[in-house]
Amino acid sequence: MTRPRVPWIVGAIVTVLVIAIPLYFFLPKNSSKAEEAWANVPTHPVHTDHKGLFTDYTLESGSDVTNACLDCHPDAAQEVMKTSHWTWENGPYELEGRDELVYGGKKHLINNFCIGITDNEPPCTACHIGYGWEDESFDFTQEENVDCLVCHDNSGAYIKKNAGYPADSVDLLAVAESVGNPTRENCGSCHFRGGGGDAVKHGDLDNSLLHPSDELDVHMGKYDFSCTDCHRTEHHDIAGKSISVSMDDENQVYCTDCHNEKPHDDERLNDHTATVACQTCHIPEFARKEATKTEWLWSQAGQDLPQNPHEYLKIKGKFVYEKNVVPTYAWYSGTADRYILGDKIDPTVPTVMNMPHGGIDDPEAKIFPFKVHNADQVYDTVYNYLLQPKTFGEGGYWSDFDWDKANRLGSEAVGMEYSGEYGFAPTQMYWPTTHMVAPAKDALQCESCHTKDDAPGRLDWEALGYQGDPMYYGGREQQLGVAPVSTEEQK
Amino acid sequence: MTRRTRLFRFAGIFTLFLIGLLAMGGSAQVALAQTSPIHPTFPLLDENGQNVLDSGAPVSTMATCGSCHDTEFIADHSFHVTVGLDQFTAPGAIEGSHPWEMSSGMFGGWDATAYRYLTPPGDQEFDLGVPDWIKTYGLRHVGGGPAMETPDGTPLTELTVTAGDPWTHSYDSETGELMAWDWSKSGVEEMNCFLCHFPQPNNQARKDALESGEFQWANTATLLGTGIVSHEGDEWVWNPDAFQEDGELDADHVTIQDPTPENCGACHGAVHMSTDPLTPAEITPDDWHTIRTGQIFSGQRLKDTGLNLENKQDLDRSLDVHAERNVECSDCHFAVNNPVYYQEPLETRPGHLLFDPRRLDFGEYLLRPDHNFARGQTAQHAVKPEYQDAMRRCESCHDAESTHDWLPYTELHMDTLSCESCHIPKLYAPAMQLDDWTVITPDGQANVTFRGVEGDVNDIHSLITGYEPVLLEQTEVTGESRLTPFNLITTYYWVHEDPERPVRVEDLKAVYLNEAGDDYAPEIITAFDANGDGTVDSAELRLDSDEKVQMIKDRLVGLGLTNPQIRGEVRPYNVNHNVAHGDYATKDCQVCHSQDSLISRSFVLAAYRPGGVDPTIKGDNNVKFTGDMAWDDETNTLTFTPATTESGLYLPGHNHVDWVGWIGLFSLLATLAFVVIHGGLRLYEAGKHAHDPHKEPEMRTVYMYTFYERAWHWLQAITILMLLATGIVIHRPDTFGNLDFGIVVPAHNVLAAILLINAVFAVFYHFASGEIRQYLPEPRGYFRQALMQVDYYMRGIFRGDPHPFAKTPEHKLNPLQQATYFMILNVLLPLQILTGIAMWSAMRWPNVMRSLGGLTWLAPFHTLIAWFFASFVILHVYLTTTGHTPLEGIKAMTVGWEEVEVEGREGTAVADSSAAGAGSVGA
Repeated sequence: MTRPRVPWIVGAIVTVLVIAIPLYFFLPKNSSKAEEAWANVPTHPVHTDHKGLFTDYTLESGSDVTNACLDCHPDAAQEVMKTSHWTWENGPYELEGRDELVYGGKKHLINNFCIGITDNEPPCTACHIGYGWEDESFDFTQEENVDCLVCHDNSGAYIKKNAGYPADSVDLLAVAESVGNPTRENCGSCHFRGGGGDAVKHGDLDNSLLHPSDELDVHMGKYDFSCTDCHRTEHHDIAGKSISVSMDDENQVYCTDCHNEKPHDDERLNDHTATVACQTCHIPEFARKEATKTEWLWSQAGQDLPQNPHEYLKIKGKFVYEKNVVPTYAWYSGTADRYILGDKIDPTVPTVMNMPHGGIDDPEAKIFPFKVHNADQVYDTVYNYLLQPKTFGEGGYWSDFDWDKANRLGSEAVGMEYSGEYGFAPTQMYWPTTHMVAPAKDALQCESCHTKDDAPGRLDWEALGYQGDPMYYGGREQQLGVAPVSTEEQK
Repeated sequence: MTRRTRLFRFAGIFTLFLIGLLAMGGSAQVALAQTSPIHPTFPLLDENGQNVLDSGAPVSTMATCGSCHDTEFIADHSFHVTVGLDQFTAPGAIEGSHPWEMSSGMFGGWDATAYRYLTPPGDQEFDLGVPDWIKTYGLRHVGGGPAMETPDGTPLTELTVTAGDPWTHSYDSETGELMAWDWSKSGVEEMNCFLCHFPQPNNQARKDALESGEFQWANTATLLGTGIVSHEGDEWVWNPDAFQEDGELDADHVTIQDPTPENCGACHGAVHMSTDPLTPAEITPDDWHTIRTGQIFSGQRLKDTGLNLENKQDLDRSLDVHAERNVECSDCHFAVNNPVYYQEPLETRPGHLLFDPRRLDFGEYLLRPDHNFARGQTAQHAVKPEYQDAMRRCESCHDAESTHDWLPYTELHMDTLSCESCHIPKLYAPAMQLDDWTVITPDGQANVTFRGVEGDVNDIHSLITGYEPVLLEQTEVTGESRLTPFNLITTYYWVHEDPERPVRVEDLKAVYLNEAGDDYAPEIITAFDANGDGTVDSAELRLDSDEKVQMIKDRLVGLGLTNPQIRGEVRPYNVNHNVAHGDYATKDCQVCHSQDSLISRSFVLAAYRPGGVDPTIKGDNNVKFTGDMAWDDETNTLTFTPATTESGLYLPGHNHVDWVGWIGLFSLLATLAFVVIHGGLRLYEAGKHAHDPHKEPEMRTVYMYTFYERAWHWLQAITILMLLATGIVIHRPDTFGNLDFGIVVPAHNVLAAILLINAVFAVFYHFASGEIRQYLPEPRGYFRQALMQVDYYMRGIFRGDPHPFAKTPEHKLNPLQQATYFMILNVLLPLQILTGIAMWSAMRWPNVMRSLGGLTWLAPFHTLIAWFFASFVILHVYLTTTGHTPLEGIKAMTVGWEEVEVEGREGTAVADSSAAGAGSVGA
């Protein structure tokens, strides 16, 4: 008799498989939605330790460091120089109702905070990703002017001063040796401090995100995300943008980059996702830790009143700061209209600087939460347009408290006529609320919006274009025949 | 103009109005939001049909609302109005109730927690006359019914005063005297439409009017604060500014609406619908449902409330998912002829009709809305039993099957448990535990103990721990019984006389309090003040010694009461609200499938027993109390422990049958003992007879087991071992790993399926190949051969004798093996498979399992056989070592080849070729 043809180990394996395979297929799987989302979170390469790599360099200025970086990363500066972090402009855009193309970005646009940067550069460009943007003569083609450190410093000791230069106290060698992947501190050094101080501009971005609780920001708190986990970056081009400076939604960041479009176990909740942005329910309030500026009256500037950065400053006027603010809800398709210097205004009604596009009849629009910043700001009462005053520097309002002079100098700088007559017109600006996502357990509940009887809910259905609460009247498909487009299709 | 035509004319005008509104655009609707969007203006009429502006008289809801709606019909079709008047009878005639009850409603019935007792006709010992009843219970009665007429339908205002008649007398507790009641002066309290149909009815003003005996003004008082009427001094003054020129109520003041949860909550329990935090002050003693069960109707998240809850920051769930999702009281408890909700019951609806569209139109409904509201099937409220279960239950709206696919044995669970059992895991407000009326506080209340709170319930600093309701079997209207959650309230009180009735509050006060009635009598303080601080606090106010009981008894007798006795009773209170979303429902299998199972967890009834009396279970309801009530001297608690086995429940992981365990354990230990002794002797003897070459048999290597046989064997071996492992986890999860039933149970089932399929293939193989003959003993000489094998195991093996039967590929099994395998493969395995399949089939066909005796019988049987299998495995593994070398048998079963003794050698029994001559691998 011959030895058996099949080795016993084959039998053993077959036997185990016969048991294991059915068990695998028939046992209930605990695949949680959260785990599915994790699969989409990028992993970051381990950054090379740069200690000791700068022994051959003399690092006396920021540009010295940049040149040293470029020795090993020759494309880095060119990559950065293509981005709006460098150019502070984007577009050109075709906007409805305009013949000419318009440019976005801080370089061109005015807002209803410090208004505009032209001829006011140095304090503004402290947050520019470069060195030396002091006036219009700044050379945007010089590689050595790119500031690598503001994003890559991991020492926490890097500080920029006016025009973007490193502060005198900065030990450039120590900072250069510390470089690594951008952290929340890097991004936050500018983005948490927009408007000149912590939490001023954005209601959803401030220094509390450096060490947030689970409740304040579920991504950064509970799961320890860095900014670049969502704002994915390739060749220094960072995804994400806001309608405060942009008008389109190219290269935008979405919740659905990681999360399923129907992320809830509850069908009724999933029914909402084509009409209601995730942020609407999952960011019940903004400015939950630090108060944010919601109103700024430039018209009150120049008085000798008690000064307090949260209430009144002689150079800026009167402020209102609010905390735990219920957002303003509006239809939003991801793009926005824009006030461009020279546009006529009606000074009797608030001029919206960046009205979000969308409406109940726009199938791509969803209800989205915004921080609305109200202001009054200087305008030309003869030409009926907003002015960009010179605030900083010689002859600027912050030194001379002379609006007429500030308007004249500012208008000259931006190349606009100034009649010599000015007043203050109300303006509004929409800031999308998208950070500081609360944990699911703190999301809005049905009754937050859908109320019976007389109780007012969060959403004013009629203002949004509904005939009545969609819970009773049906959604926009039933009410108006508008079939919303899912996020997946929109992309 | 008749009511009907007025209503229809209104409907027409309203339609035009709506069209106009739509034409104007949506914004007009906002302006109307505060007033009623649908109700027209109307005059307020007094009982004579005069406009109250002219007469200054109290408003008559029956006349005012009755000018369009059929208020007589509504009053006749409302158990909120009649509250038992329509079934009023003599004391003792209500089956299953206390001998002194006269109805099962609030009028004439008696509820130990409310305690006050309507005096029956002819009884001279007054607690409440009818006017007193209105002052006491009228606060939570919507008017009409007993507040307007006698059980025989005589209007109260037409009654003539007869001595001692409770309908015409009020008892003055100050003087202890009966006072004739002048109904013409007090007037009567009509059914109060405003209380439920105005957004903010003034219930307090209504109560004040009732308590002061101004019954006819109660409905007017309900409007106080709306601007329609004011109360100046003792006068009620109608405000002309609230009326139009034609005398009709101004549109701004017409705020008539569907009842909101707040309306219902005014009498039924705490309701909180705003986004402000719910505060403890919103829970008042009048919120009966809340006080009795801890239910609060609100969509607010627990962590957002203002309640001092234990671990509050982690309590993410809302108080009630329905409130959270805008489902209101009247969505389930609807008027039964409301055309929006009406659905003919399945029992009477023809099978082919999913929906019968024929129904009242709105005009007809608004004329005659049936105010008998749909309701559930609770242990309380026996009034109008025909409306039990008229409402939509969970199953009417929810397709539970589609959301419970994660739950093994879904249907079995649903047949055994009400939805509430898992979806109301806990209540988050204090609830009554013990209501002790054997004593009385200076403000005339019982000494009440609450569960779910640490410390004084009235102190907002007390920590609210909440409580888990007890699961008891409730017989539903369908006749089926399911476990469902309850609070159990124990009440103690004194009764006297024969037939019995409760001792009046007045008498209790006379016994316990001083003459002024503002503090305890000095003798009481002396007897009860244990800590000697001069006062009697609630911990001291209890009849915890024979002396105290005797003292109170003597004092009651001193009042002229005969034979006073302490009675105690336990009543179940259904918990149906405060439903948790699935995310927060009980989902962990081990909550029930474990030693400390929820379904048999002791529920504390009381921390003391007045007079040492054990309470009785109040049985006039649909709840089965299977279990034991016991007083524990160590913890000083009276507990009720449900015993679900008595009602035929067998929970894997929780229940076991003791004798099955003992037999199984014995079988296992006996096998182990045999193995240890036998193996030990073999080792010992092997040492003594170290290698005797004479006895060394001649060996040859044979291909013993084919590939398929080996694969079959090992597959079977592994599945049996894994089945035993998973089975023991299911049987005793507390002892073995506490693994998730959701994984272990399906794993057990999958393994069993593999075993079964493997067995089917093997049967086929054995028959098809003829290998089955290996298992068939030769009848002739079988016993002799078997004895030879026994003899070998008992003696020969120790001496190193050769095996009596040589093992060959043709004859692998010795006679003992044949017998054993016959038992294992033809008896035990099939039985185990059959009982297993029967239990598994409960997943789809629970009735099949029930007809086979249910889990109570099947599960212990399955367990017993599993013990035998475990014993067999041990013995089997041991006997494999009895081959030529200890590991030879296992090696052969692994690789197929085995070294066996050569047949026919001296000392080996020569069996004829057809006889079983197999060798060594043991049974």
